[in-house]
Amino acid sequence: MPLAAIKAVAKSQNGVGAFILPCRTLTFHYCNWWGSSRGMNAFLKSSLPTFAARNPQIEILVAPRPQKHPVIIANYINGSQRSICVKNLQNEGVREKAELLRGSTGEKNRKLDGRPVKSLNESVRGVWDPFHGSKIQI
Amino acid sequence: MQRISISRCASQLRAPRRPACPCAAANSVRRSTTPHSHRIQARCQSTVAIPDEGGLHLEIAANSGAAATRKSRPSSQPLPLEKLPSPHPSAAERSTKLHALRSRLSLPPRFPLQALARTLVHASADPNPAFNNASLSILGRHLLGYYTSEWLLCNYPRLPMPVVFAAVEAYIGPKALATIASEWGIEAAAEPGGEVDSGLLQFKRIASGDGLPEALRRQAPWKWNVTTTHKIMRTDEFGSTNAPPSPHALQKTPVPMEEAAQSFVRALIGALHVHLGSPLVKRFFRDHFLSRHLDISTLFDFRTPTRDLSRLCAREGFEAPVARLISETGRLSRHPVFVVGVYSGKDKLGEGAGSSLDEARTRAAAAALKAWYLYKPVEVTVPSSMEGELDTSKWRPNFVDCGEVIV
Repeated sequence: MPLAAIKAVAKSQNGVGAFILPCRTLTFHYCNWWGSSRGMNAFLKSSLPTFAARNPQIEILVAPRPQKHPVIIANYINGSQRSICVKNLQNEGVREKAELLRGSTGEKNRKLDGRPVKSLNESVRGVWDPFHGSKIQI
Repeated sequence: MQRISISRCASQLRAPRRPACPCAAANSVRRSTTPHSHRIQARCQSTVAIPDEGGLHLEIAANSGAAATRKSRPSSQPLPLEKLPSPHPSAAERSTKLHALRSRLSLPPRFPLQALARTLVHASADPNPAFNNASLSILGRHLLGYYTSEWLLCNYPRLPMPVVFAAVEAYIGPKALATIASEWGIEAAAEPGGEVDSGLLQFKRIASGDGLPEALRRQAPWKWNVTTTHKIMRTDEFGSTNAPPSPHALQKTPVPMEEAAQSFVRALIGALHVHLGSPLVKRFFRDHFLSRHLDISTLFDFRTPTRDLSRLCAREGFEAPVARLISETGRLSRHPVFVVGVYSGKDKLGEGAGSSLDEARTRAAAAALKAWYLYKPVEVTVPSSMEGELDTSKWRPNFVDCGEVIV
């Protein structure tokens, strides 16, 4: 055989064709008795229906968690989980935290040192090469 | 790469919803006098996916005796959910996971959730072909193979066949499909059953410590004489040497998750084709499959590129290729670098750098061969884009190449 082929798997580029929101589920835990979840209860009553209607791709679960602080738990496509305690926050604050979890990719927070853009494509200029471009006379 | 006729293979998959033709309905009524399995009757009573009045008609011959009508035995008690092998179709509307999955994949609301739920049931969970995804996954597999190979052959007409097969496998191979399913957020149920949420992937898992089942382990080659022509004409879209197991053959067999996930993705394509039509499937395929990144130039594995290149030049009537040293540095040092170009007459075909003259020459020949094989026409119309079109003025004939060099 003059030629063989190497097996590979095409890599996903989320957002190039279709966009899959990384946030898969959001679970809202509340308590009916403790005052720390007053804002959470207000959010569940007033803002959650609009939030759910604007994000139909997220599975939303509401569950009581008596005698605990209210918490929002998000599960992501990559298998990770993030949770934010929303004790003593008002309705608007809870909504902001829910939006924060919705927009997250689920990856760990890390510092973007060096180059902030990662690309699969080679650079337009190519790798630097001593034999091309303007000749340097020594 | 089998040749298929798609026009005929879709209609019968909707057969559980309504009889395909009057004679089929008559057949099913006649068949309803045969003894049935009790489970099927109980499931057909309140189903949403099968609201048939006259009868249930199964085109698949495997369980033809299992067809039942509502009129024949209207008074049997429904079984408890735990007795069903897979979730009831009427549970699909209540599943939040399915609603979320449909919106996550940007599918229109007219795509029924019952169909989406059916694509998640592997044959190992539910052996009844009216409720599992085996038939849909066969259709989806052929559609995926058709769309991928036509796109590759039209966009890269000079690609050698081994590379075409590898590229098809990179886009829609078993590993790629399992990755796609996990990127769509598909979760698997621990154990299939009627009480499980319809939005979970249902399949029978391999028990811990057990090996692969016999059906997946069996390595029966298509034929001992495996030529490239045979791979194109007779084998599957990946040119593999062994026949994959038929989805219908995996009933009650424990399977790995990858197998179930790939059957789900294929079945989803099949279900989209049946319920929404081919234009939407093509758009879905472009968005979810062709948008993935694959550098085809990394798939080549040349053995003797210099010999291939000289054969190619002889075939195409070019002058014989000559390797010339363009520049060099540090010939007597520990890290010499040579830059060699391959020339045919006055045209430079390729260029490569290496730490020895031979390496640089080989790299240059490989670069020249890749430049030839990866030729891409500017404007391409794939054959499937003309399906059902009355105005054929947009059609551009595709470039057909005589193929790779034979040494």
